[in-house]
Amino acid sequence: MSLRTEQLPSKFHGAVIKWRETYLPDYPLLMESWEKFFPTEPKFELCAFRQMGMCTTIECGEHTGKPKYQKASEMAPETAHHLYGAIRAQASTEFGSIQQHRLTLARAQNEEEQFWILRMMAEELRHGYQMLHLLAEDDWTSVTSESTEQMIEGILSMNTGSHVLSAFNIDFDSFVDSVVFCGLIDRVGKYQLSMQKVSAYQPMAESMPKMLQEEAFHLAAGVVPMRRWVTRAASGDVTITVSALQKTINKWLQRGLEMFGDERGGASNVKMGLKPLKNYEAQQQYRDEVGKLVRDLNLRYLRARVPSLTIGDAEKTLDRILAGEVLEGVGRDDLLRLPHADFFRRRGTPAFTMIGRDGEKFDDLGAYARHLAQNLPESYLANRDFSDYLDLLGQVVRGETTPEVAAAKSPTLRRVGGACPCSKAVRWVVDEPATIASPVLAGA
Amino acid sequence: MSSDSQVVVRQIDELDISAVVEIDERIGGAYRPEVWERRISYHLRRDPETALVAEHEGNVVGFMLGDVRSGEFGLEEPTGWIEVVGVDPRTRGLGVGRKLAEEMFARFRSRGAATVRTLVEDERGELVKFFASVGFEPARLTALARTI
Repeated sequence: MSLRTEQLPSKFHGAVIKWRETYLPDYPLLMESWEKFFPTEPKFELCAFRQMGMCTTIECGEHTGKPKYQKASEMAPETAHHLYGAIRAQASTEFGSIQQHRLTLARAQNEEEQFWILRMMAEELRHGYQMLHLLAEDDWTSVTSESTEQMIEGILSMNTGSHVLSAFNIDFDSFVDSVVFCGLIDRVGKYQLSMQKVSAYQPMAESMPKMLQEEAFHLAAGVVPMRRWVTRAASGDVTITVSALQKTINKWLQRGLEMFGDERGGASNVKMGLKPLKNYEAQQQYRDEVGKLVRDLNLRYLRARVPSLTIGDAEKTLDRILAGEVLEGVGRDDLLRLPHADFFRRRGTPAFTMIGRDGEKFDDLGAYARHLAQNLPESYLANRDFSDYLDLLGQVVRGETTPEVAAAKSPTLRRVGGACPCSKAVRWVVDEPATIASPVLAGA
Repeated sequence: MSSDSQVVVRQIDELDISAVVEIDERIGGAYRPEVWERRISYHLRRDPETALVAEHEGNVVGFMLGDVRSGEFGLEEPTGWIEVVGVDPRTRGLGVGRKLAEEMFARFRSRGAATVRTLVEDERGELVKFFASVGFEPARLTALARTI
């Protein structure tokens, strides 16, 4: 199978370049340093890649076996609407993550890790470009009154606070955010891309293989530094601690779970052949995978802390510690743990229920707020995102609003208007990003 | 243990690092997580589809890392290179190495390679035997080295 390389029409390509100059100013540095950090690896190219020779019949849903759609106009309106939402949401996540990473890139403690993230940002730009290419090369008038220019301008105008999915509307506070985000939120991306690889819309399916290949490294750009950090923490390095890592996992994992959409949804996407898994099924697989990551990190920590442990006894020792014993001076609280699925949730079935990190129930708002404050990064507590969450939680607890309404208001838009480098127009405004949460990404 | 039909080969991912470290330790006796973190990161960047692991009963029991290159050592045509292979000693006899090799060959072919190459130290008799069992023959290339 071969890859076909395509570019956006020049005016849109130029708009993405302008966007890159604004939000990825270190791109020239990446190119200059490529040979140093990535010798023998093909240099980055801003383009759309399409995998040729893929399956041409619908692979799941009620139309299984029929030819895949080459154009949006060939689909039922509802299917096209879902697909359009998915492409728009996917594009939003790609551009959104760059805007988040740029805040903390300079704070990396290690040059290699910094350039890994920088390369990852460039590849996310390419992924966004790929989604814009899908919008630009088809006719979407059956689902939107916007012109291609307006669609692309709308996406390039989004900023932290106005993206489609909430995980991309939270500012990073440290490079720990950057790395944990790669390990947890990019993992959701992997699920989404894997599911979209079997999309009934052929151009979407053909866009996925190269994106998935690049995403594999993005996950490593999070997991490998985390593995190194727990080793440093085990040796007593005060610049990174297990506690800091745990709190950052608590901050992001729950947003990752919510990216799969409401636990009760997703059936219509399966039926339409756009995805093979319902929201809850995909979410469960994702959480299990993060559980494996946490166990790996704990094993890495334990063997660094107790070098005399052998391969045979490390796993057994870990299990005994997790069961409550203190062995070799290591106890349960020295290790990472997977937060409860219902902890600190603002969307889905457990939205705005007061469930603690380990699944304990809270009845008192103040006690729960203190519990959250103890288990989230200190720098995040001053973030508007967190105070908005507490405000909404208070309204739900006092009966002033319902969890559903509160979920729709999360997160509240903080930045409106255009920052689009291809236009001076301040046109694109969304009051509540949650209400346009993509039916495909966020579940129908 | 059950037969090789229950050995499943798939693309490696970042969560396989621990398993690869463990297999390497079981083979060589040294715990070298840093080596595999760096090496697997490289393969995930360069071409993850030619970095494979084999699973048996839900556990990773083998790995094979390779890639397709051209223009090296005077070999202009695309060539598949197997860089490293490891099989958990406790699962020898299940055909894990063969399964990995067959999948790797298929992936090399899909990338336009018609030849697969590797280098094996003479004293690694078991490895030489393995590669012979999956069709490798001595090549008309001489491995040269010197200390500096």
